[in-house]
Amino acid sequence: MVATVKEIKMPKKPVPVIGSLKGMLNMGKYMFTKPVTTQYPENKGEIPERFRFRIFLVPEACVGCTLCSKICPNHSIKMEHWDLDRTGLENNVVQTARGDRKNLQNKRNIYPDVNFGTCTVCRQCEEICPTDAIYLTHEFESARTRNSFTYSPEELTMQEEDVIK
Amino acid sequence: MSLLVRIHQWLSFLGNFTSLGLAYILQTIFILIFVGISFVALIYIFRKYMARIQRRVGPNRVGKFGLLQLIADLFKLLGKESIMPERRDDMAYKLAPIIVIIATMLAFMLLPFGNLAYFGSLAVTHSKVTLILMFGILSILPIGEILGGISTKSNYALLGTMRAVAKDISFEIPMMISVLAIVIVSSRSYVTGGAITGGLSLSGIVANEIIPYGIIEPLGLLIFFISMVARASYSPFDLGESDSELISGYTTEYSGMRFGLFYVGLFGMVYLSSFLISILYLGGSNGPFDHYVGFIYLFIKTDILVLISFLIWVTLPRIRIDKFVNLGWKYLLPLSMINLVYAGLFVLYIR
Amino acid sequence: MSHWIELNVGPVHPSTHGIYRFRVKLNEETVEDVDITIGYLHRNAEKICELSYFVNNIIYFDRMDYIDAMNMELAYLRAVETLMDMEVPERAQWIRMIMAELSRIAARMVGIGAVGLDLGMLTPFFHTFHEREKIQKIFTEASGGRQEVNYMSIGGVYQDFNEKIINEIREFISQFKGKLEEMVKMLLDSEIFWQRNEGIGILEPEVALDYGVTGPMLRASGIGYDIRKDSPYLFYDKVDFEVPVAKTKDNLGRFLVKVEELRQSIRIIEQCLAKLPDGPYFNPKAKKSAMLLLKGQGDVFTRVESESGEFGVFIRGDGGVKPYRVHARSPSFKNLAVVPEMTRGVLIADLIATIASVDAVAGEVDR
Repeated sequence: MVATVKEIKMPKKPVPVIGSLKGMLNMGKYMFTKPVTTQYPENKGEIPERFRFRIFLVPEACVGCTLCSKICPNHSIKMEHWDLDRTGLENNVVQTARGDRKNLQNKRNIYPDVNFGTCTVCRQCEEICPTDAIYLTHEFESARTRNSFTYSPEELTMQEEDVIK
Repeated sequence: MSLLVRIHQWLSFLGNFTSLGLAYILQTIFILIFVGISFVALIYIFRKYMARIQRRVGPNRVGKFGLLQLIADLFKLLGKESIMPERRDDMAYKLAPIIVIIATMLAFMLLPFGNLAYFGSLAVTHSKVTLILMFGILSILPIGEILGGISTKSNYALLGTMRAVAKDISFEIPMMISVLAIVIVSSRSYVTGGAITGGLSLSGIVANEIIPYGIIEPLGLLIFFISMVARASYSPFDLGESDSELISGYTTEYSGMRFGLFYVGLFGMVYLSSFLISILYLGGSNGPFDHYVGFIYLFIKTDILVLISFLIWVTLPRIRIDKFVNLGWKYLLPLSMINLVYAGLFVLYIR
Repeated sequence: MSHWIELNVGPVHPSTHGIYRFRVKLNEETVEDVDITIGYLHRNAEKICELSYFVNNIIYFDRMDYIDAMNMELAYLRAVETLMDMEVPERAQWIRMIMAELSRIAARMVGIGAVGLDLGMLTPFFHTFHEREKIQKIFTEASGGRQEVNYMSIGGVYQDFNEKIINEIREFISQFKGKLEEMVKMLLDSEIFWQRNEGIGILEPEVALDYGVTGPMLRASGIGYDIRKDSPYLFYDKVDFEVPVAKTKDNLGRFLVKVEELRQSIRIIEQCLAKLPDGPYFNPKAKKSAMLLLKGQGDVFTRVESESGEFGVFIRGDGGVKPYRVHARSPSFKNLAVVPEMTRGVLIADLIATIASVDAVAGEVDR
């Protein structure tokens, strides 16, 4: 295919001083417009619908397939043993003889453990998860001190305010 | 009746000599406080103004509308460690910011501030040669820049100093010649046509400036304005600093409060140059009821000039050093000569 | 006897965008020689790519030319999809094209603003960045990421366009036309801008070809070479646009070519929006757990036109789930290498203006 090449038109050279004055007025008129920046802590702005940051876990749905830890590009996700025996879980859980509740599908009792210090929010764990157990949310204010970015499976189920590090 | 005389009278119980001395000191402190507050306000206004042109909000965290931002910055600068280069020339290094700030402050003492209500004339110096004194003090300023630049033995600072010196030399002469034209014009009253004395003092020039000299010789106003932009050294003529090329020019190796002094000196120079332009070319404190509110007129004129300077600062790119020196020697110098001849002809004609 | 001093422009310097270092030999203000040191932002991306699955490498390409992430993804995915014989649905290709052009605009906004900033002109930079912010908002709306988007996936895109995104793009395009002219005027109105750019940093076409310079720099030297025309990918052969060329060979020419390309990008996006078909937006062969099983064998080299020039990706697959070798041919690296040729004997201020017009991105230079 023949390239359609077009030589650019040189713009007119500005008249000395007058051109500069025009440019100055052109920029100076923004003096009278409203600022376009938003002030962060007071005004958080609209978060777009698909914006993602903090990873959450639905422990009842997790089957312990380890796909998320395999696909994680930075090896931020590790699988960790966790005896799920909390009350208040509804699906996929039955009463055992001891009265505890267990996620029967997750035979090995392993759940993801995420290090947000290295997470790049590529969303591939959410993409690959066969049961939609791991998902990302709008939650993004998760500033921590340096050594406490690792979220255990239990902390992944909690809201950001409840995670005490 | 001037403020100085008033204070002198109040303190007359101390004897003539002591009270006069005290009056001078008190008024100097008064002007210093005024100038200091002005500098702080100026930097705040600059930051807000620049932010609004760039569609930002500017300082807004410390105090209401960020009004205390500058105070916070001052404490930050005072609390910072002053990192000094190892191979510095110690004395020159420490002297440079002080020279800049003292020269700027001194220059403010010579300005005829005009009258304000009950206080009368606010001027401190009642010398007959304030014009010469003023430009003498202004030529001390580059010494601070040069000392600061070459004492640090940094290549950036060295290049910045070379540029600053080239800038100062090439714009000193057009500036002085355009001031000379003012002296010539003000040596003869254009109302009566008679000769006038006191043309070498700023207050004398203002007294004779019934029509602003900027209207009589607009060319001189242009030359003086450009020279003053160059002297105050902000964009497009901030060659001493050239912050995208030489990091920060001659102030590269300064930190903490010493850098702060250079910074304040820069803003002081913007303010001073606006004062000088409004005094020499825009009628200074002249206007209706100027024996009562003359200072207000001067203040408003100066502030408008400051805003224009800031607009130039944030919107124009930096000029290259060779083009800049060309501008000084090839265009402004001949133009200022023409302006001088024109001023002479003007005086001849009105006689 | 010649006196010279050595001046470091970089690695930490206001006018090197990213981290690289120019050791400048100065005779007073005149540049005698420039020696470029790179590697301050070397992150070993090519080696890391060999250690991860094919799907994972997209994020490392995002971080190469971090201001033009969509084109980087596109370059990698073209190579991978050719390697795997993966078919991409038509809708996904049009979406990729829109995103690539939007990304080009976003990257140019940084470049054009920085030209002003390096010349000491503070204000236009904020205006261009505001426009860039609007594009990043569209990216967030579509993909969830602002800068490192990770939007395109093997065999399509991760998430489909919806009405809101299309409307936002339309809205952006309609206001951007006027805004672009205004921003360009801000810079071009000033005669000092012309003084600083006209006739500075001359790059002869022969030298440019010798060094492998591509992109707007080559086009500003008079050679109309654009991958989008010369070896079309996606549907660039189905849209109508022109390749701008300047004969001036200087900084000003480069600036004007970049601006003209923005206008062409807008034309392309408008045509893409009109032609956007319905249909699937991903290839089901590369979804869910199949993502980990994608294999490829053979050598592939593909090119795209990124904002700074011809970005090529070489991949060798040995039949496994991870690539055997990944290499990126980065345009910024070549464009930066020619700076000493362009700046011999100029003033130091011109060196800075030239670096600004080259607009090399350190992440891509060092990879």
